[in-house]
Amino acid sequence: MAPTAALVEASGLVKEFRRPRKAPGLAGALRHLVTRRFDVHRAVDGIDLRVDEGESVAYVGPNGAGKSTTVKLLTGILVPTAGEVRVAGVVPHRDRVANARNVGVVFGQRTQLWWDLPVQDTFELLRDMYRIPAADYRRSMDRLCEVLEIGSLLPVLARKLSLGQRMRADLAAALLHEPRIVYLDEPTIGLDVSVKDRVRAFLRQLVADGTTVLLTTHDVGDIEEVCRRIVVVDEGRIRHDGPVDVLRDTLAGHSTVRFQLAAPAPLELIRQHLPDAEVSAGAGERDLVVRFDRTLRPAGAVAAAVMGLVEVRDLRIDDEGVADLIRRLHDRDSPAALTGAG
Amino acid sequence: MHTLRVYRRCLGAHLRATLEYQADFWILVVAAVLTQGAGLLLIATIFARVPRIHGWGVWEVVLIFGMMVLAQGASELLAEGTWGLAGLINRGELDRMLLRPYPCLLQVCSSRVGMNAFGNLTVGGGLLGTALAHLDVAWTPGRVALAAVLLPSALLIKVSLTVVANSTSFWLRGAINTFAAGLDQLGELTKYPLSIYSVGLQAVLATALPFAFIGFFPVSAFLDHGRLAWVGLLTPLVAAWCVLLAVAVFRRGLRRYDSAGN
Repeated sequence: MAPTAALVEASGLVKEFRRPRKAPGLAGALRHLVTRRFDVHRAVDGIDLRVDEGESVAYVGPNGAGKSTTVKLLTGILVPTAGEVRVAGVVPHRDRVANARNVGVVFGQRTQLWWDLPVQDTFELLRDMYRIPAADYRRSMDRLCEVLEIGSLLPVLARKLSLGQRMRADLAAALLHEPRIVYLDEPTIGLDVSVKDRVRAFLRQLVADGTTVLLTTHDVGDIEEVCRRIVVVDEGRIRHDGPVDVLRDTLAGHSTVRFQLAAPAPLELIRQHLPDAEVSAGAGERDLVVRFDRTLRPAGAVAAAVMGLVEVRDLRIDDEGVADLIRRLHDRDSPAALTGAG
Repeated sequence: MHTLRVYRRCLGAHLRATLEYQADFWILVVAAVLTQGAGLLLIATIFARVPRIHGWGVWEVVLIFGMMVLAQGASELLAEGTWGLAGLINRGELDRMLLRPYPCLLQVCSSRVGMNAFGNLTVGGGLLGTALAHLDVAWTPGRVALAAVLLPSALLIKVSLTVVANSTSFWLRGAINTFAAGLDQLGELTKYPLSIYSVGLQAVLATALPFAFIGFFPVSAFLDHGRLAWVGLLTPLVAAWCVLLAVAVFRRGLRRYDSAGN
């Protein structure tokens, strides 16, 4: 393997937010004026992350896990409370101008286009700000217009674009200066299936061309189609970091059988007979969910064991994928959230 | 130079976009004329009864008034975006500005163009011209040079004070900055000769909130009028101080910026 250089290097990254602690109502607001009290909320709690040139990383986790905050720290929008960041050798929050030339950022929820201006004007202003030479600009624009099909959007005011059009224009705006690394914060959120496909195809091409990509997402499609590495974060900490395909294989070892029973499920009894499986109740009292390692016993054996104990009306077997990992991660009450990821 | 060119292009792009709404444009020009007309009416009414106020004649007061209107126009043209700063902070929209290789303050300033700008620049310029025509000023080279220094300094003070006032949004955290609007209203007091106010208020308007250096003091120096005429010669220094203050306050505030959640 060719030696690769670390493009992003973060160590011990911490970000705390101070939130005013106010009692509800006007009285509480007034009291806050006199006795100012704050709650400290640790959104990012000691993150170490290294991303090499050319990598494609999915940064996933439930809402409030600290994904967006990490991206904002890596891009220099926020100043870390503790820890260090370097992106292409630059400390982003200290040298914003130098950093800006190396990175491109797309926020799915917020546009970076000048809201009141035609798309074309945004591109030209960015060209001026980034001092992109005329020839490079024309080449970039030609390529982006072609692959993102934004040629017809150029004269349109940014605020009149549909979400899908806006996303394509935003992608172009972030890539105009040909950054070495692109951060995408939920780039496909709210997009319809066909636009999602186009965006993903575009991102795949970007990765193939050697651009480093780090994206946060809730969408398994984004992860599986674009990224080779997955970093799972929860409560401000990295919980898993590894190749997407290894994770998929690990999870593929597990299956879930969902039973519909004739009577309420005797969970304890079933657990006694299937000690190495996870037995839990489903949505209704007559539902039963058994999750197990397929390398230990085949699905048929599990089904037979359950059928020997209770009367089964219906059953369904699900193989697990990255989607299940995400789903279980998002269900924070589940203690087994990460057992599948090893 | 590159920085200024990009600034001009940002404003230019917004100007083009703004001018597409012709009706808005004309309504706001008329509004500026009416608003400033009301102030002028007050001056005319007063001077119909008394020939001078604290030694100031009608055209001298109109000159101060014209400077203030012109400065307001300049601030609406060059720094209107700062009035949106509270909203930008609240919605976390400074994020995108921090990601570009260009000073954040200038991006904020040029994120809008105030349409009243044209009305006020026209009215202010007109008042300045008319007042000067009536004042019988001896245009020696020295006086021309003085005007050439005082005018841009005064405009710069107004623009800087607008930036300072709105930079308080970093601390206030409301969706709109009523504090800045209040300060701006206070500045309106200096459309009239400063000496009509109490000593305390004069001191505030001359030092802590140097609005008096937009109209009153530079006009005093230019016309060599009154005991305090020499103070007006400090206008360029005050301008430099205000610019530095604006940059420092904005930078300080930006450090408090916490973005916004998704």
